[in-house]
Amino acid sequence: MSELTRTPNAGRPLAALGAARHAEAILAAILSETGADGFHVKGARRVEGQVQADSLHSFAAAMKSRVGFEHLSAISCVDWIAQGEFELVYHFWSYRDNCLVSAHVRIDRAIASMDTITDLWMPASFFERDIHEFFGVVFQGNTDLERYILTDWKGPPPMRKDFVSRDFAHEHFHYKDYEPTWDEMIEGGYHGSRGKSGGAE
Amino acid sequence: MSSIVTANDGKDIMPGANAPENREYNMFIGPNHPGIEGNFALKLTVEGDTILKAKTEAGFLHRGFEKLMEERLFIQNIAIVCRICVPDPDPNEENYARAIESIAGIEVPRRAQFIRVLVLELSRIASHLFTFGGHAGTIGLYTMPNWSISDRDRVLDLFEELTGGRVYHIYNMPGGVRRDLPDGFKDRVRKVMDFIEERLAEYDDLFFNNKILLNRAIGIGVLPQDKALEWGATGPDLRAAGFAHDVRKDDPYEIYGELDFEIPTERDSDAYSRLMVRRREIVQSISIVRQVLDKMPEGSVWNKQPNPLKWRVPAGDAYVRTESSKGEYAYYMVSDGGVRPYRVHVRGASVTHGVHILEHLLTGARIEDASQIMFSLDACPPEVDR
Amino acid sequence: MAEKELTQRSAWDKVLANLRKRSLWMLHYCTGCGAVELPPTMTSRFDMERFGIMPMVTPRQADILLITGYLSVKTLKRVILIYEQMVAPKYVVGFGSCTINGGMYWNSYTTIKALDRYLPVEMYLAGCMPRPEAIITGFNALIDKIAKGEANSWKDYYENYEFYHKNQQHVFGDIETHHDVTDDGKYFRVVEATR
Repeated sequence: MSELTRTPNAGRPLAALGAARHAEAILAAILSETGADGFHVKGARRVEGQVQADSLHSFAAAMKSRVGFEHLSAISCVDWIAQGEFELVYHFWSYRDNCLVSAHVRIDRAIASMDTITDLWMPASFFERDIHEFFGVVFQGNTDLERYILTDWKGPPPMRKDFVSRDFAHEHFHYKDYEPTWDEMIEGGYHGSRGKSGGAE
Repeated sequence: MSSIVTANDGKDIMPGANAPENREYNMFIGPNHPGIEGNFALKLTVEGDTILKAKTEAGFLHRGFEKLMEERLFIQNIAIVCRICVPDPDPNEENYARAIESIAGIEVPRRAQFIRVLVLELSRIASHLFTFGGHAGTIGLYTMPNWSISDRDRVLDLFEELTGGRVYHIYNMPGGVRRDLPDGFKDRVRKVMDFIEERLAEYDDLFFNNKILLNRAIGIGVLPQDKALEWGATGPDLRAAGFAHDVRKDDPYEIYGELDFEIPTERDSDAYSRLMVRRREIVQSISIVRQVLDKMPEGSVWNKQPNPLKWRVPAGDAYVRTESSKGEYAYYMVSDGGVRPYRVHVRGASVTHGVHILEHLLTGARIEDASQIMFSLDACPPEVDR
Repeated sequence: MAEKELTQRSAWDKVLANLRKRSLWMLHYCTGCGAVELPPTMTSRFDMERFGIMPMVTPRQADILLITGYLSVKTLKRVILIYEQMVAPKYVVGFGSCTINGGMYWNSYTTIKALDRYLPVEMYLAGCMPRPEAIITGFNALIDKIAKGEANSWKDYYENYEFYHKNQQHVFGDIETHHDVTDDGKYFRVVEATR
């Protein structure tokens, strides 16, 4: 059984990158290595900024290899239906600097297409497949965009804002129709049935 | 002319001559299986007893949580958010509360921060005990679940006294916690912590030094060190590969920055190491709980919002991370200034462990080790499906 | 002669019910989030096994199908396959409030709301989730029901198969279950065998 270790960089391949940097130094590194200048410090250990959709892949590659952000924490997607855009947010974490960089990318909602980064990070394939299933965004270059969670789903991508889950549930699923009488003992009357008994039978 | 009369039209009835060239066949370790942690399926292509290719199949537990959260008020979501991860529900409530506090700039009283850490560490202990039981069940050591899940029940009794619910607590509110500790609660927590500490020595004798476990678990499911970071492992799976990374130390939240604890790591990165990392984490969690009980200040426990049914969170977004018992658990919340969250993205810890890492580790493994690999990675399907 | 036969059969049925109620095997399938209260019930603190209830892995030898919590449509397909593989008499226990009327996920687009439209349910256990003591109380109630000879909801599946089948198809379309339900119903003497 091996000993409890306390050294943070024990045996890691990127140990040669050096000491942790402050947020300002990270911003300078991002600017110099990737050319993206819209980044700012948001809070303790949080940096964020906007990146153009067509330069996201080179930005991500530079973040991973030159700026030292080796962990892709998540890729989130937000549906801004009023503006006709999807916003993809890429969250990168650096174990060396203990800082999170969130890159916000806006893409057109009707076209819904983006380059993949699975060639840089393998875990990105889960998030891209998830976003494809739930929002309908196609990631160019990702060959594994088959349905994973919603394999029998026949409706529209469910996380889009124009899909209302409650209406869909009322339309497609049958609730139990019941007339409770316990309320008459307590309050003195209940009008009508609460559960929808469900449409076509 | 053959002198041997065969009953099969003269065809050789011994296997081998008529065997198909391709000896691969598909095997489904489907959702109804005790060797699967939860409701999840593995589609394997095997040859003999060796797995050639593995594909996971999720979606059996999908409820559409992220959509449900968008259709409910902020205060209503607190009741459902704990059900996203079934064995370890408290990081969900913590993330949800902290995301709102981060967006809206709500201060949390110090006593509430201590209580939150207490609840999170108790939940971590309960989840690890549950995992020990599950792991032991995959290799046939059935005494261990009987012990560890019953001992976990003592922790659940503490939760019941504090929050009213054994498993799902609905206790963390944005702004603090729902109610203060009952009288005498601290003594009962101390007693349970002493009890679990004694039991760990008995678990060593029964389970961790058991020859069957050592034979079955050492060298199984090795996650190569150079691949661990690349494949996105976090939490105990990453620490078993030698990297001392923990969100509580790297990205401290609540009062973890003031507490004194260590991060156990192992070098071999196999199923046994992952089990030992978890066992050592229980020791650290017990130490954290004791420090929290000693240092807890007096004060209020909830910075209450004035009108929870009409509560609007100002526009903004936040990405909060917590160390759950399974790894890095994060929420990305976006608010547009309304009474409902605009978007909540749940990044469970198992989205990397239970999907791609599991598929990679199963390739080349044997069928009898498939469940053990899944349990040792602690891949929790409700986090993957939401 | 006919009355004597009937009495003898009914005495044997009573004996059979008493034997059967003491050895109910529960299918080990965690269908939803309520399943986390099953390990405490099965292990040494609450110990379900003293009632004779043990987890069983194959549906062919299981008596109780415990639907722990909600059912997503994908799981319902598998549950129907499993249910038809179970040998009668079989008892479906709806565990938690999600089986009653949708529960907490009442507005979800992938969970079913009323379980007894797809399977005949013998007993519901209220709660979210039910405590282990509630589970054991529920199982004791089921044992009493079996002893009295009232736990016959499984016959409803064969008698009203069109109703259940139509609802199942409405939710997930047509699937091949490799079971001829009408044939099974005739075998168990629930449906009249045609000459």
